[in-house]
Amino acid sequence: MSASTYSPVDGRSKTLALLVSVFTIATCGLVYELLAGTIASYLLGDSVTQFSIIIGLYLSAMGLGSYLSRYFQRELVVRFIQIEILVGLIGGVSSPVFFFAFAELQAFRLVLFSWVLITGVLVGLEIPLLIRILKERFPLDDLISRVLSLDYVGALAASLLFPLWLVPRVGLMRTSFIFGALNVAVAIWTCHIFYREHRRPSLLVQAYLALGLLVAGIFTSAELASFSERRLYKEPIIFSQSSPYQRVVLTRSDEEVRLYLNGELQFSSLDEYRYHEALVHPGLAAAPSPRRCLVLGGGDGLAVRELLKDDRVESITLVDLDPLVTQSFRDHATLALLNDHALRSPRVTVHNADAFVWLQDQEQPFDFIVVDFPDPLSYSVGKLYTRTFYRRLIRHLAPGGLIAIQSTSPLVSRRSFWCIVETLRSVGLEVTPYHAPVPTFGEWGYTLASREPIQISDRLAPGLRFLAPEVLPSLFAFPADMQPVAVEPNQLNNQILVRYYEQGWRQYTQRHSQRSGP
Amino acid sequence: MSRCPPGRGLDRRQLLLGAPGLAAAWTLGCAPYPRAPGSFGEGVDLSAISGGIVGASLELGHRLRTGDLPEPSSVREVPLLILGGGIAGLSAGWKLLNSGVGDFELLELEDTVGGNSRWGENEVSRFPWGAHYLPLPTPECTAVHELLAEMDLIVGEHPDGTPIYDPRHLCHAPHERVLLDDGWRDGISARDLMSSTEAAELAAFERQVAIYRSWRGADGRPGFALPAALSSPDPELLELDSLSLRQDLDRRGWRSERLRWYLDYCCRDDYGCSLETTSAWAGWHYFCSRPEEVEYLTWPEGNGRVVQHFEARLGDRVRTGQLITRITPTADGSQAGVAVDVLDAGRETVERLHARHVICALPRFVVPYLIAGYELAGVERFTYSPWVVANLTVRRLPEGVAWDNVIYHSRSLGYVVATHQNLEIARQRSVLTYYLPLTDTDPSAARQSMLERSWEEWASAILADLALAHPDIHSRVDHLDVMLWGHAMIRPVPGFFWSEARRLAAEPFGAIHFAHSDMSGLSLFEEAQYQGVKAAEAVMSELGHAYRSSL
Repeated sequence: MSASTYSPVDGRSKTLALLVSVFTIATCGLVYELLAGTIASYLLGDSVTQFSIIIGLYLSAMGLGSYLSRYFQRELVVRFIQIEILVGLIGGVSSPVFFFAFAELQAFRLVLFSWVLITGVLVGLEIPLLIRILKERFPLDDLISRVLSLDYVGALAASLLFPLWLVPRVGLMRTSFIFGALNVAVAIWTCHIFYREHRRPSLLVQAYLALGLLVAGIFTSAELASFSERRLYKEPIIFSQSSPYQRVVLTRSDEEVRLYLNGELQFSSLDEYRYHEALVHPGLAAAPSPRRCLVLGGGDGLAVRELLKDDRVESITLVDLDPLVTQSFRDHATLALLNDHALRSPRVTVHNADAFVWLQDQEQPFDFIVVDFPDPLSYSVGKLYTRTFYRRLIRHLAPGGLIAIQSTSPLVSRRSFWCIVETLRSVGLEVTPYHAPVPTFGEWGYTLASREPIQISDRLAPGLRFLAPEVLPSLFAFPADMQPVAVEPNQLNNQILVRYYEQGWRQYTQRHSQRSGP
Repeated sequence: MSRCPPGRGLDRRQLLLGAPGLAAAWTLGCAPYPRAPGSFGEGVDLSAISGGIVGASLELGHRLRTGDLPEPSSVREVPLLILGGGIAGLSAGWKLLNSGVGDFELLELEDTVGGNSRWGENEVSRFPWGAHYLPLPTPECTAVHELLAEMDLIVGEHPDGTPIYDPRHLCHAPHERVLLDDGWRDGISARDLMSSTEAAELAAFERQVAIYRSWRGADGRPGFALPAALSSPDPELLELDSLSLRQDLDRRGWRSERLRWYLDYCCRDDYGCSLETTSAWAGWHYFCSRPEEVEYLTWPEGNGRVVQHFEARLGDRVRTGQLITRITPTADGSQAGVAVDVLDAGRETVERLHARHVICALPRFVVPYLIAGYELAGVERFTYSPWVVANLTVRRLPEGVAWDNVIYHSRSLGYVVATHQNLEIARQRSVLTYYLPLTDTDPSAARQSMLERSWEEWASAILADLALAHPDIHSRVDHLDVMLWGHAMIRPVPGFFWSEARRLAAEPFGAIHFAHSDMSGLSLFEEAQYQGVKAAEAVMSELGHAYRSSL
């Protein structure tokens, strides 16, 4: 310790600055770690595994950083400031980088782990460097106790702030930008305090540029958009992209993955097997020879997965409007896992086309057709439930062939369910309506249709979790509250189904809110 | 204009912020065609929008007046000539052909036939330039029914014998919506629009419609029939023709703004006239000649679909780009005939065609200029409303569009969506057809002022008008073409329908038979077809050719 460079007032502010730095560094360091762990759990599920891996990786990287600090010998303060700027930048953009990598890149884990590694190394460098800077001002025992205690207090602050305030209120994106900016602010402060000893204008410029970038990040519109979107969905969003046709959003909470199209729930990974087994297998079992299958809609590949369970199925043609959906569910690791990589099966051919137009342009006959369109909540989708559509569909039905159609909820919107059944009947088809309980949707309805009378069979494909021969009869029994009601068939010029559907859901939600209201 | 309360959808702040188009929308909202020059659609940014004024061979038509025409250089015999390729002329040809008379030619001035049912096409869609739908025919419209059956639009029969139309071509839901002060509302009828406090007036209106609908004159004919010629000349109803619809509403004490708006809208839509200039008889005819729930057939190109059917049937009998310069009745021995001089626009030659019979399906206002020695007393009573029609190619459809989208606080009729009948579920690019009848009391002044406006002026005014409903409309539009129709529709002003002039106009002149919806006094497809078929049948009777009447 040299008295000549040490004046009490000046020295006190420098010491304070460096100690505040320790606290901030500790808080930021833990926030980055928690962000990485949280986002990995959001995106990949299995939070215990993700957190264990991230924490392990991060701590070992910090160890590596501490070890590497020995190679820094000259101009420690300048190195420290440079590292601060770097940590601020890399940690600050970590959330957007993770979300982007998950949505856009195949190698998400590689990006995640590299990022965690780099952040860990840089954070690991900080404390040893700081101790070496401060050791000229404090006796070592005092220094170690001060720095380490502040380090742990900072960590405590981060671990409390993160779940209680940052995640619910600030959001993951903004948190990462804010703490990155804090990190850079520490660098700027240090820069100013040591300006007389280490005159580095370029360092200051770099620091201010980094700060500007991160502050801009805090206020970017993209962040605000996804921030508001996250409020729309109760669960954290792991994938969100827009195609010309729709907004595709995937959320995950714990082990549950949900797919939303234009804000409407399409499935929950917890019980989608119930929905898709009920959609596919009663018809598949009843079809005498389901060699050639057609799936309309259902770009998520989940109905295709069910069809592939039956060895009699030789080819499956999937027609879905949106290439974003079919490509994501074929190529994206997390999504392809949901359908057991069904869209990569050699038995499957995917066409991205409008179903109405595709049916017009084709002559191919099919033995089993699965129609899995979104609910008729708009006039444009409503067209796919009209007599005109079904007439066009029948032309593709091979002799003895069967059609299975998702038909909305017979409980929530009883008239729309029976309207679909009636529309099919009105174009001369034999119909067998049925239903199954799907917890996230409620009681759900389907219709089997064929030119010939339908014989229900209990020879189900293997590997089912919901349907079984003894369960099957219950699907075809309609309790009093789901019994047929008088309805008109759905036609292009009246689109009565869209109105039935809207009325049904409006009444249901009204009744529901009255019951659960105060 | 009392119908335009200040600030609908726009507040002062928006105005001061000066988004392009908004200020213009403000000043033009009530009158998209102000007379004061300089205020015409100012401030709308057109730099990203292509387009122009298209259609109407004004120059070619103009040569008639300047007299700059070569002498006939060749002479040819044609047994039968149809002059004019609008719906009347095409229908005459169709009826002749269906009756086994194939030796005729049809001459049209423009380079495409169709008249008010002309249509266009670009890489996004086909679209109409005029008439864009056909109401399902009433049982009296036998010729329309015959045509639709021939077009394979009737796919079956209900148990009661009424036809089942191809659902692909019946107007799909949602049909119409209107933008009111509180947002869009489904449907534009009086019942959709009027409030509960106006229930008594609505009931009175509906009661009157029901009475007139079932009215039978002393001759047993309906009071209001379609074709209009089948209506009974019942003195009690004839009296309505002496009033404007506005005067009739005053007389009945019906004051509801919404009811008056609706009736005015219907007059503008079908007749290009306002409440003040439409005869009450014509106004009631609109509501009472058809059943209550009427459905429409429609296609992307509107009634252009029917035109294409006619064209396919008539084949090379149709000759376009032909300016008729002179029609001269001739006496060739014992048999009367007609010499028709025709300028071929492409070849710059005039040919003289000698025909035994001529069906003149040209608008009546040009006929006295063309036929030597023909005088029609009261021809000045044939007046026409000018129309502005625009087709806007949009890269993104506005949200929630119906087929027909109407803006309450606009003098335009709003727009229809050309891709409405498309069965593809998600289609963003489309063509919007915008209609603006110029319903001024002096149509010739309105016509003059309409033709003086440039494309920039019309495009700005149209975008400003549409911005009332869609403030971001100019950012959705890639291309905007405007067609200026100088004489779009015959005006059924008070006294015209039951006038002597209209009755005389139907009289043949020597071997010339006339056919045009002008003669019906109502510019409707059904009327044009009726007049065309009627003329064809009259000619066949003269020829002694046996036919089964379509009327």
